[in-house]
Amino acid sequence: MNQNTDLLTLRSVSKSYGTVPVLHDIDLSIKDGEFLTVLGPSGSGKTTVLRLIGGLEPLTSGEIRLDGQDISRMPINRRPFNTVFQDYALFPHLTVSGNVGYGLSVRHVPRKEIARRVAEALELVQLGRFTDRFPAQLSGGQRQRVALARALICQPRLILLDEPLAALDLELRRQMQEFLKSIQREIKTTFLFVTHDQEEAIGMADRICVMQAGHIRQLGTPHELYYKPNCEFVARFFGENNLVAGKLGSVQGELRSIETALGRLVCSIRDQPHLKTATDGASAFAAFRPEALHLADAKDTENRFSGTIADMAFAGSSTVATITAGADHAGQRLRLRMPSRVDGSTLKSGATISLAFAPHEGHLVLA
Amino acid sequence: MSGTGTIPLAERRWSLLVTVLAFALPVVFVLVPLAIFLGYSFFSVDQGTIVHTLSLGNYVRFFTDPIFLPVFWNTIVLCLSVAAICILLAYPAAYFLTTLKGRWRYALLMLLLVPLLMSYVIKIYAIRSILGLNGFLNKALVGLGILQEPSTLFVFNMNAILLTLTLLLIPFAILPIFLSLERIPQVLLRASDDLGASGLQTFLRITLPLSLPGVASAASFVFVLAIGDFLTPQMVGGISGFTFGRILYSQFGTAYNWPFGAALSVALAVVVIAAILVGERFGRNRGTAI
Repeated sequence: MNQNTDLLTLRSVSKSYGTVPVLHDIDLSIKDGEFLTVLGPSGSGKTTVLRLIGGLEPLTSGEIRLDGQDISRMPINRRPFNTVFQDYALFPHLTVSGNVGYGLSVRHVPRKEIARRVAEALELVQLGRFTDRFPAQLSGGQRQRVALARALICQPRLILLDEPLAALDLELRRQMQEFLKSIQREIKTTFLFVTHDQEEAIGMADRICVMQAGHIRQLGTPHELYYKPNCEFVARFFGENNLVAGKLGSVQGELRSIETALGRLVCSIRDQPHLKTATDGASAFAAFRPEALHLADAKDTENRFSGTIADMAFAGSSTVATITAGADHAGQRLRLRMPSRVDGSTLKSGATISLAFAPHEGHLVLA
Repeated sequence: MSGTGTIPLAERRWSLLVTVLAFALPVVFVLVPLAIFLGYSFFSVDQGTIVHTLSLGNYVRFFTDPIFLPVFWNTIVLCLSVAAICILLAYPAAYFLTTLKGRWRYALLMLLLVPLLMSYVIKIYAIRSILGLNGFLNKALVGLGILQEPSTLFVFNMNAILLTLTLLLIPFAILPIFLSLERIPQVLLRASDDLGASGLQTFLRITLPLSLPGVASAASFVFVLAIGDFLTPQMVGGISGFTFGRILYSQFGTAYNWPFGAALSVALAVVVIAAILVGERFGRNRGTAI
């Protein structure tokens, strides 16, 4: 397995249902052995991408290549991919071992080998004791793991996961996230994971592909998406963010200024050449994370402005202040996140405070 | 919370009345008549009047007289055959229905069920005219050169009963099979494809086993309806097509031996109840929820 070779490539793939287009000219490369998450709100076309790759639906145009070979028209049962379906789709009339061994038994693998590999797969997903149970006798998390074992037993080149954690409660979902990630590391198989939950995406993915309205908006590591979103949609969708509209100003090395209702702000444009070349006066947003915003002190010479605390919300490990800023301390809502302290915050609703964020912690997105 | 204390007395009386009625109606109208019938089977008839002394005579006669047991057995075999043929014909039809999209599916299903709205007797007459010596079936077979001359194979014998019952009861087989096929989540079939199964493998390993409950209830439906039928054998069976239903019918009619008829009904009821229980046993889905 080499993380740098492409396993699967989608080239200008489009899909329409009747006259309704759902995917527009998608280009996407999946690297061998990576955990790639396709993230998007409902209706973004993320599940369609998975269904096209899995062969559950035909392409309208474009092509899908596996190791350079066009597989766009290969029937579903010949593709070396397996899917973990959203509602698991376990066969209710087969036992756990019957379900897990299904892919081998339809390929006429000898019984003894099936038994051995089923036992291995169930061991891997920690379900060794449940071989003779029926799916109806299992909990949600257990069914999930049976579905995973069933998909990976055929040693597919790629495992497709369609929002597999959506039906689980929060605690179980967290456990399953770690579990999936550790299994992926252990078997070194490429995972394509579809979800609408960005927290899930950040926690598991090597790379994330953000989709919206049938387009890929950005593809990158969770870190890149979080700190260098390339458009307003990603900046707003991916994690909590403060966006302040304005007009681009001058470039000073790796920083660029922007004129906003909060005054002149300076943000990083490092590794983002399109922001360096954008014309002066172009509409853009200054974006900074709630945790980057802090109470200004003497060291803060740039990006200083004042605001009024509208609300304080205790959220366990952190406390979030909602702040109104801009002209007359209205019109611009901001969030400030700070670590919680046992003796409570000194900030109170209604107080006027001076705020700042460091230039390298702010970024710009074109409107 | 003191639940019962807050409900008004009148309301409680009312709900008690409803409960009593819900239990009383089936008892009065179903169980009591059945019990009376069971009682009758232990009576006997002497010169046209019923003798109300209990005896096992009727049952002894049923088991020892060389006439009844063979007819009883032949009728069961006949009805099992009807059920089997109905399933074999109805399954492909129901399967085809589930492959249709939206409106067409239900339009065609309704069309297949239309015969249920027609009078039973008229349907038998119609089928008899198809099967008869100068009927459509014979004319077609002769016309196609399969037969030299019209055959009496299809009328007034066991074959005629078999064919007629099959035709009459097929809708009762299609419906449960269709419903069980339709209930199979499509995603299970996709999952089977995804795991590398061919179309035939998916059918044999997923679709067929998951539709077996429907097949079982269809079979028990058809069997029960066929075995209770005396009209069809009467009208298309002639002399050689003698079924248990006809014997039973004659005990209440020409023979005027209600107690013996009641005993024969009890024997039939045992078979019917057994068929329903078997159908119910296999009709239950193993671990339905997914």
